[in-house]
Amino acid sequence: MSANGSEPLLSVRDLHTTFPLRSALLRRVTGHVQAVAGVSFDLRRGETLGLVGESGSGKSTLARTVIGLERAASGTVTFDGRELTSASPAELRAARRDVQMIFQDPYSSLNPRRTAGQIVAEAWEIHPGVVPRSRWRDEARDLLARVGLDPSHADRYPHQFSGGQRQRLGIARALALRPKLVICDEAVSALDVSIQAQVLNLLADLQADLGLTYLFIAHDLSVVRHVSDRVAVMYAGRVVELAEQEEIFRRPTHPYTQALLSAVPVPRPWSQPPRERILLTGDVPSPADPPSGCRFRTRCWKARDECAEVEPALEPRLGLHPSACHFAELPAAHR
Amino acid sequence: MTESPLLSVRDLSVRFRTGGGHVRAVDGVSFDVRRGETLAVLGESGSGKSVTAQAVMGILPKPAGEIAGGTIVYDGRDLLAEDPNRVRRLRGDEIAMVFQDPLSSLNPVFRVGWQIGEMFRRHRGASRRAARAAAVELMERVGIPAAARRVDDFPHQFSGGMRQRIMIAMALALRPRLLIADEPTTALDVTVQAQIMRLLADLRREEGMALVLITHDLGVVADVADRALLMYAGRAVETGGIREVYDHAAHPYTRGLMASIPDLDGPRERLTPVRGAPPNLLALPSGCSFHPRCPHATDRCRADDPVLRAVDGRPAEHRAACHHAEEVVAGERERV
Repeated sequence: MSANGSEPLLSVRDLHTTFPLRSALLRRVTGHVQAVAGVSFDLRRGETLGLVGESGSGKSTLARTVIGLERAASGTVTFDGRELTSASPAELRAARRDVQMIFQDPYSSLNPRRTAGQIVAEAWEIHPGVVPRSRWRDEARDLLARVGLDPSHADRYPHQFSGGQRQRLGIARALALRPKLVICDEAVSALDVSIQAQVLNLLADLQADLGLTYLFIAHDLSVVRHVSDRVAVMYAGRVVELAEQEEIFRRPTHPYTQALLSAVPVPRPWSQPPRERILLTGDVPSPADPPSGCRFRTRCWKARDECAEVEPALEPRLGLHPSACHFAELPAAHR
Repeated sequence: MTESPLLSVRDLSVRFRTGGGHVRAVDGVSFDVRRGETLAVLGESGSGKSVTAQAVMGILPKPAGEIAGGTIVYDGRDLLAEDPNRVRRLRGDEIAMVFQDPLSSLNPVFRVGWQIGEMFRRHRGASRRAARAAAVELMERVGIPAAARRVDDFPHQFSGGMRQRIMIAMALALRPRLLIADEPTTALDVTVQAQIMRLLADLRREEGMALVLITHDLGVVADVADRALLMYAGRAVETGGIREVYDHAAHPYTRGLMASIPDLDGPRERLTPVRGAPPNLLALPSGCSFHPRCPHATDRCRADDPVLRAVDGRPAEHRAACHHAEEVVAGERERV
């Protein structure tokens, strides 16, 4: 397939992922949970798209659907010109080589019985032809060095590494097949802050050196701002706002984005102009029984009748970026 | 005349037996908690911040952990020397604790109202009816909507944020004078995190109790804490008023932590994290435990373990355990 430089690397259109709800006794399907409910976005080559949202927003399910770990109920995922939701197993296999994932908990995603070198080389066993067997040892050591691990530790087991080192090992494993897209699912969330900063710098260096494209999923907005070119904000299975990083953080127009930003703890609040704190009440609605119309309306201080009747589309508003709110408006400081 | 502190910890050491030998998880830590104040205890994993709280609460994992030295004085009473039964009652009545994971601290098979009410039945001899009424009142107090209806629900029927509110309700039941919260918002979403921090701050003010907030997140406590205590590898490395410590950090570790946090405003610059990783407590470096990671380290740091001391040119209560504290503070001035 053509790798036209201007076409997006990943294109997701109206993607839905649903999980059946079953009764405890007869396992009969009693309903459906819409974990991802009509999500569309493009990922440009070489960029980092940050995906933020709270637990239950569907951000991880979205990533798992993109990579094929969950089946899409409807919609399309086009990667590098190939439509994946209708692809043959062989095509899917090839695409999976190009898309790799880094998980939150490196410890549970690394086989404890394999050495660091074997963990990195595992992918070459599954996808023959990427690296010839005679080169495995050297290539594995190169990869370990590339992510800041001591190549002489290739014979060590995961438990012999610290948490930060294990995450580096997870990154080395993800890079083994020379992917085009790396999905980082809360990849730095479990790390201590000093180690987290080291890993963020590493991810930036790897992107610059290898031309990687990142889909970066995190709940920490400071981290997302730091790494992302563009940011998508998810709420209850839908993208509610999508824009360049600076737009999202300086000119958010969706009330949920504004509330989320106002809740982010900053280390030295006194050194900044006073922020308007929007304290949301209540919790994210159950995805099994989402509110009619706008899914955020049950927690929104702007909600009116219209919000319960008409679901707001994600479209440019106020002459700015796409926002899914009937009453999109800039934060008070900008009005 | 200054009022005596509510809690005074002096030279506390806690030892853990591990497969690899003895580990000093807390090593000579001293601090005070004043009446009605909020103290943030900050540090990364392995710093000893949670173990310090467990020692104060008398809930060190036994038999692995034991207090190896020091004193814990609460309101003039030495908790390590007094009759264990009286100390236990004191800890239940006057010192309460909230943990990170409310689901594992709540009993899944009992209704939440019953669990909150148990505090009144056991400690105050309240009747079932009175205990239930008190439970509803507390649930309202911590912001659980429709408390009267939800008092008979089970823990799994509540969201994470609501479960943490239930834990806070239980901790507050006996109107403690000291509440220790160990990573109370770490498992929660950011919007819920803000709600819980606000709740803790409001309750502290209304109750006039003292609050110790243990966390790895320098941001979440900035708004609510009066003072900060930073821990590294089992030691207290810096302490002082929270603004003073954050704005004029005198320990290179504190400074490194601040530089590791990405900004929410301002230009996006490459982070300058602390290099290396926290030390293995079984094989601590000589001298200052932080020296292998420190940009200021000299021969003196490799030989002499620095003690917590006042920093020249800074307020007296700002203290740091660094031979080069003045240099560290001055470095910040050059950069600004």
